[in-house]
Amino acid sequence: MIHSHILSLVLFAALVSLVFSILMREDPRARVRFALMSFAAFVASAIVAGWLMSPFPS
Amino acid sequence: MADTPTAAVVAARPAAAVPACLLAWLLPGAGHLYLRRTGKGLIFLGAIGALFVLGLAMDSRLQMAVGLDDILASLFSLAQMAIGLPYFIARMLGYEAGRVTSVTFEYGNTFTAVAGLLNILVVLDAYDIAVGRKA
Repeated sequence: MIHSHILSLVLFAALVSLVFSILMREDPRARVRFALMSFAAFVASAIVAGWLMSPFPS
Repeated sequence: MADTPTAAVVAARPAAAVPACLLAWLLPGAGHLYLRRTGKGLIFLGAIGALFVLGLAMDSRLQMAVGLDDILASLFSLAQMAIGLPYFIARMLGYEAGRVTSVTFEYGNTFTAVAGLLNILVVLDAYDIAVGRKA
């Protein structure tokens, strides 16, 4: 079905960030801000971790 | 959103804590729907349900390894089971084996386990609402 690593990452980050924001913030604007920050942190940290691992053999 | 608190809704309902938690475990968001937090409940149902279904579509295995032989496998099974009825229905529908040769097998496992773990947080949120700790 989904064979793209980046699409899997984006879907995962979006859905988990959405749930986190609803659980951890009450104000709608704070929820949106938290969801965006959480999404960016998920995606950025995964890309940085992948980049750091790239020199190592699989 | 439909979560605008009213005096009637904000009032603690300790007697509703047990059914709310049970419903929240059985189906993501059902506890919030029971507590009249319609918006929250529908978002949880959609987001956690989507994570679980995507995990199945990625050939996740729904293992049931409960015991002390392999602690990590048991914890993983418990994480998946935390999503409640969808886990057992998917097993009955034949999704228990997964497809270990699939390139997305591990992604699928991650999606289904995280869906269950998020549902534990949702159950705790439903409890907090029922006892009046959260609006």
